[in-house]
This record gives sequence, structure tokens and C-alpha cells, in this order.
Amino acid sequence: MFSRRYTSPAADIGTRGLPSGAPRQSGILLTTLQAILGWGRKYSLWPFNFGLSCCYVEMATSLTSRFDIARFGAEVIRGSPREADLMVIAGTVFIKMAPVVRRMYEQLMLPRWVVSLGSCANSGGMYDIYSVVQGVDKILPVDLYVQGCPPSPDAFMYGLTRLATLVGSEKRPLSWLVGPGEVYRPELPSTRDERRPGREGETSLMPPEQATADGEG
Amino acid sequence: MADREAEAAVALRQHLGPESVVTQETGDGIPTCWVAVGQLRQALEFLKYKVDRPYLMLYDLTAIDERERVHRAGQPASRFTAVYQLFSFDRAEDIRLKVALEDDYPQLPTITGIWPSADWYERELWDMYGIGVDGHPNLRRILMPPWWEGHPLRKEHPARATEMGMFQMTEEEAESFDEQLRFRPEEWGMSPMQEDADTLYVNLGPQHPGTHGPLRVIVRMNGEEISDLVCDIGYHHRGAEKMAERQSWHTFIPFTDRIDYLSGVMNNFPYVMAVEMLAGIEVPERARVIRIMLAEIFRVISHLVYLGTFAQDVGAMSPVFYAFNDRERAFDIIEAITGGRMHPSWFRIGGVAQDLPQGWEELVGGFLRHMRRSLRDFDRMVIRNRIFKARTVGVGVVGPEQAVEWGATGPMLRAGGLAWDFRKGRSYGGYDQFDFDVPVGSRGDCFDRAVVHLEEIEQSLRIVEQCLSRMPEGDYKSLHPLATPPLKERTMEDIETLIDHFLAVSWGPVIPPGEASMRTEDAKGNHSYYLVSDGSTSSYRTRIRTPSFPHIQMVPQMCRGMMIPDLTAILGSIDFVLADVDR
Repeated sequence: MFSRRYTSPAADIGTRGLPSGAPRQSGILLTTLQAILGWGRKYSLWPFNFGLSCCYVEMATSLTSRFDIARFGAEVIRGSPREADLMVIAGTVFIKMAPVVRRMYEQLMLPRWVVSLGSCANSGGMYDIYSVVQGVDKILPVDLYVQGCPPSPDAFMYGLTRLATLVGSEKRPLSWLVGPGEVYRPELPSTRDERRPGREGETSLMPPEQATADGEG
Repeated sequence: MADREAEAAVALRQHLGPESVVTQETGDGIPTCWVAVGQLRQALEFLKYKVDRPYLMLYDLTAIDERERVHRAGQPASRFTAVYQLFSFDRAEDIRLKVALEDDYPQLPTITGIWPSADWYERELWDMYGIGVDGHPNLRRILMPPWWEGHPLRKEHPARATEMGMFQMTEEEAESFDEQLRFRPEEWGMSPMQEDADTLYVNLGPQHPGTHGPLRVIVRMNGEEISDLVCDIGYHHRGAEKMAERQSWHTFIPFTDRIDYLSGVMNNFPYVMAVEMLAGIEVPERARVIRIMLAEIFRVISHLVYLGTFAQDVGAMSPVFYAFNDRERAFDIIEAITGGRMHPSWFRIGGVAQDLPQGWEELVGGFLRHMRRSLRDFDRMVIRNRIFKARTVGVGVVGPEQAVEWGATGPMLRAGGLAWDFRKGRSYGGYDQFDFDVPVGSRGDCFDRAVVHLEEIEQSLRIVEQCLSRMPEGDYKSLHPLATPPLKERTMEDIETLIDHFLAVSWGPVIPPGEASMRTEDAKGNHSYYLVSDGSTSSYRTRIRTPSFPHIQMVPQMCRGMMIPDLTAILGSIDFVLADVDR
């Protein structure tokens, strides 16, 4: 249902894995260097200051004191796509806005990642309506989906840490002259499967008649 | 009340001739008069200029596609009906004029000569219904993109995106769309672009940090000065009005939350009250007070975001952090009561979703104590900040006459000095039981708007405090059969109750045919829902009149002669969200 309808040649670089699942013929030095770069990228994901609707407010909330996204190195909001690593599609993708969103995605420098934040960007969500694109993955490739309408800042930050894990374990070519010219990207396990045992273990929930669990929010 | 309402209709009939006005009964008691297309301008001119205590504000202008409507006894034959709603501050009353149109693609005369604010509303009529407007200065699509085919609110237009085939955008299409979105000054009555050193067109948006969402502003600069400006909207059109025509009365409530997405349940307020008006539901006292309390907490939340982002727009970094911290404290209460944050959809037809949880008093009391201290910080940080003053005093002035002429409401209107608040002037939902003041400004500039917002937070806290001390006992939802969700108690005891319950849950309530509109004082201004029921499980026509739409229409006149940094301050001071502009 959510197949990728659009992949530009440039986007392919970010999505193609090696068949062997590991970099070929690379020495210890190169592997270590790639790992260090990955570690650096992981903790310096600079998001593009881009918002469409309600979800952006929650994304902005994650920048503020109670949530403080700076803990994950992603607080450097950039006004220009050319300076950003990460584009968070925060909100509903409207048909009138679609060409603009695609242009801005294309202006992001490689390596780049896309997070689809919230139900509208994931699939259209509540808005199965004439003016809304049914999921941003109809017009550009997405690396990670965060659910919610809108997702709470915690959900966004959880998604961001998942993406950081992915980014940190990617191996990217150091140069077109050195080592293999392809991107190695591990498969990210599904959050649903990972969290299922914990969720199934929850047997007593707080009754709705109670205001808070500990008395103070 | 009824006599006085009739008076305006009688005066109109005297002016236009005995046969020319047909009145219609509506659920909201607003006098509704049908006039002929040929007499429309005459009628509006009479009501604006000649009638005693005139109707100075064009409150709303919309249309109804009547072609599939069954219950319209007593109304003149019409395929499309244009609806003009006017408001008189002197009378504290509305009047609604309706014009019957017989063609499939009808024509209307423009009223931009009477109310310049009709400009965008008439463009919306064309865009959404295909109703042509003769004499309109620039009749082009406003919400839909220029390449769109069809007019979405016509009944034959598909509603679902999934009915229309999957949206795909090839590279060629993307380029063609880009080309069609290109700004051409000639189309907006401006001089063409030239290689002239002094005249320059600057495009801001639709993606720009200063526009608070996908809004496009094209500025014509003369040197450093803004000589003209065009606001291009529609990048956030979510089709909420069409959505209402397929959702049940009950399941449309979550969509209302997302209209002005910063003020959560306050959006539910006009909608559920309009439905209750159609269904004849009395809301229990406790539910009324719970509604007011939650709405006022959301007013505080929305105003906090406003103050924080406005201060940030003009260069102050700290206030936004303080504001969002306080907003989180307010969300602690909202989460404890509703379980949600931004969009709890907590109001129900006939009441609210659930009773208040144990321990809510401590949460609310703690928040009130904290916010009182916090307001002093905002006063020092924002209002008394010299840089903030330098950026905002005397910038973007809107006087009271101009505000009324252009349909501005809420803090925009009050900053100019007109102390009009619908919670006081035409009280609804139980606000008349509460003691609060209406803060006003004097100059109507950006600075006054910030001050009015800050003072409104204080007044909202006063209301919340009164809710806290005077929360009545009783039901949180009406026992009326049309209230949603229906009562479950006796469903397992007799089959009739079970069937009723099953139908009311799966299909939703059937609201009796009729028309009603309800307006509330939203955080951003006046928010109103005009509902037409055709006796079915969903609305026949839902018109959402939002405050930000006329406010954004006013931006060009506020900006002329200013500079680009002033434009940022003006946009920041308006308090709009794009979902509220485009719906």
C-alpha cells in the first residue's frame, strides 16, 4: 500500500544495501573511519526548519526545555535545506504543497534522511480528502515513520533516536576514490515487534477516574 | 428578541418592496431573508449605510449547493444559494441574506464595492462552487491549486482522495505545477518585473520560518520599503467542510479540533453548540462549566504559543522557552482530564466525554498559582522589553473602523480599542455566569495586540479560578436521546434499547432538518459553524467561518510603507494558524 512511488537516482544511494550485508574488501582503517563518521552523523542530525501543520507544533515543543532535543544533538534547526541533514515532514502534505515539498527535499544535501511525522504524512491519516496527498511517500522516499495525531514530543524523539541508530550503523563511501561506492544500511527492526512483549506485559492500567499516577504531573 | 429581529427584516422589506423579501425560520433565531439577485446590492447597501443601527461587518459569505437537499419547505426554489451574514455591533445581532441562484454555474454581482473584505470570500465561492462573480477585481482560485479541475464543494465533486486515484507526480508534472505556482505580478494588478534597481519582488514562503506554516507572501519592494504585497493561501486546505458532509455528526468532532490546531477543544465549542441547537438539547450545568474551564485553559495554551513565537519572530530567544514550559504545565491538566494533548476532541453533543477525574482541583489550582507568577515574567520579558517595543510600537496599525470593515475579530479588533467580546456581548454556553474583563488596546498596533493577549491570559485564569471554586455537581452529559455517545445503561435489559443504542453508535444520531449557526470567541477571534441539516446522520452543509481568514486578508494594508522586518512582526502579531485560514 505504501510502496515507494517516486525514487530519484540520487535517492537510490541512500536506500541500496550491499548483497553481502557488509562492506567488501575494506581494511580495518576504513571500517573504523566509517564507523567514526557514522557516530558523528548520528549525534549531529540537523533538522530542516520545515513544518506543515499541527505536528510541527509538537516537533517544536521537543526543542523546548521539558523535552530538550539537544540531548540527541538534533537542536540545530536550519532555515535552508542545503544546510540540513534531516527533513521532518511534520504535518499534512497538501496537493498544492506537494511540488514545493519535493523541491525542498531535492535541495537537501546528501546524505539526507526523511522522517514522516504523524498520521497525515504517513498515510493521509484522518484526511482522506481531495486536497491531501495520501502519504508523503507518494512523492519522496521516507526513512522512518512516527505515528500519532499529532505524535507527542516523546514519540518524535523516540523516532529520532531510532533514526540515529540507523544513521550510526550506516556505512557510507568515504570518497569515490576510496573503498566501495555503495551505502551499507542495516535493516531497522519494527518497533511494534520490539515493543510487543512489554506491551503485553502491561496488565494494570491507571483508571481514567484518577488524575495522575503520582499526584503531580 | 423575536420582535427586534423581525424589525430589521421589516425595514428591509419596506425598503425593497413588499414582495421582495421572503423570511425563513432558522434554528438559531437569526433573521434570514431571501432577496432577488438583482436587489442584493441594494439590500446590502441599505443594511450597511441606511438602516438604523447599521450592520457594519460582513461576517461571512458562503454558499449552499441545494441540488440534493430534500427538506427546504417554504424556501424559494434554488440550485445554489449564496449566503451573506452581516453583524451589527450596535444591535449585537446578525442578519442573514440569502440569494437563490437557478443556473448550474450561476453568476452573482460582486459586493467588493460595499465591503472590500468580500474579495477573498467571493474568490472562495468561485473556487469551491464555480459561482462566477461579476465585477470582481481578480476572480481566481484561492484555496485549490491553479491546475485543479472542478469545484470541490459541489455535490458532484468527489470527496475522498482515494476516489480520485492515487496522487502521483512525475518530474514533468512537478515542473508544470511549479510553473503554475510562479508569481506573475500582472495577474495581481502589479507592474511587471523589470530590471529596475528600485523595484524588486521578494517571495516568502510557502515554506518560511516567519510565516507560521505554509503561507506564501509575495512582497513588492520599492527600495527598502514594501510598496505592495500579495498573500497566497490554500497551501493548508484540508477540506474540512467537505469532510463534514460524510462524517456523522458525532465523528466530525475530531476534525473541528484541527481547524485552529493550537486551541484544541475550543474548536469543538461552536460545533457542538450548533448541533445542540438543531437537536434541541439542553446541556447540564456541570458540563457547561467543564466546557468553559477547558476552553479557557486552551485559550491560555494558544496565547502562550502566540507570545512565545511572536517574541521569537522579533528576535527574542528566551520567551518561547518559558511559554512552552508553561504550556506543558497546562497540558498536564489537559492530559489528566482528557488523555490527549493538542487535539483531545473532548466535547460531545450534549456534554463532554467523561467526568472530571479525581484530583483535578489540585492540578488546576497549582497551575493557576504558577501562571500568576509566570505572567509577571512575561510582562518583564516581552512587554517591557525595549527591543520588543522598538520592533512593534506603531507597526501594523489597525484602527477599529478598519477592523470592523474588514471583518477582524478577537484580539485584532480589541487591540484597536473596540471592547467587543462575544463571551460578554452575546454570551453563550454559560459565560454570563462568570466575572471577567475585556482587555482593550488603544493604538491597534502589534504591541497592543501582544498586550491584549497577555491580559487575556490573566482574564482566562480568572474564569478558570471561578470554575474551580464553583464547579456544580450533576451530570456531565445530557440524557437527551440525540446526545452522543448514547446511554449504555439499559441496553442489556431490553431489545428496543439495544437496537436504539446500536443504531445511534454505528450510524450516529439523526439531527432534525434545519439550519443553525453558532459562534464563539476563539483564541484568535470569531469562530463560527453554520450547519444545514437535511434530516440525516451527517450534515448537508457545514460552513466554518474562521477568524484568521479575514485577518490574513488584511496583511497587505497593514504592511504598505513598512519594511521586511516589520512584515515578520506583523505576521507574528496577528495570531493565526494556516489551518484556521484555509480549513
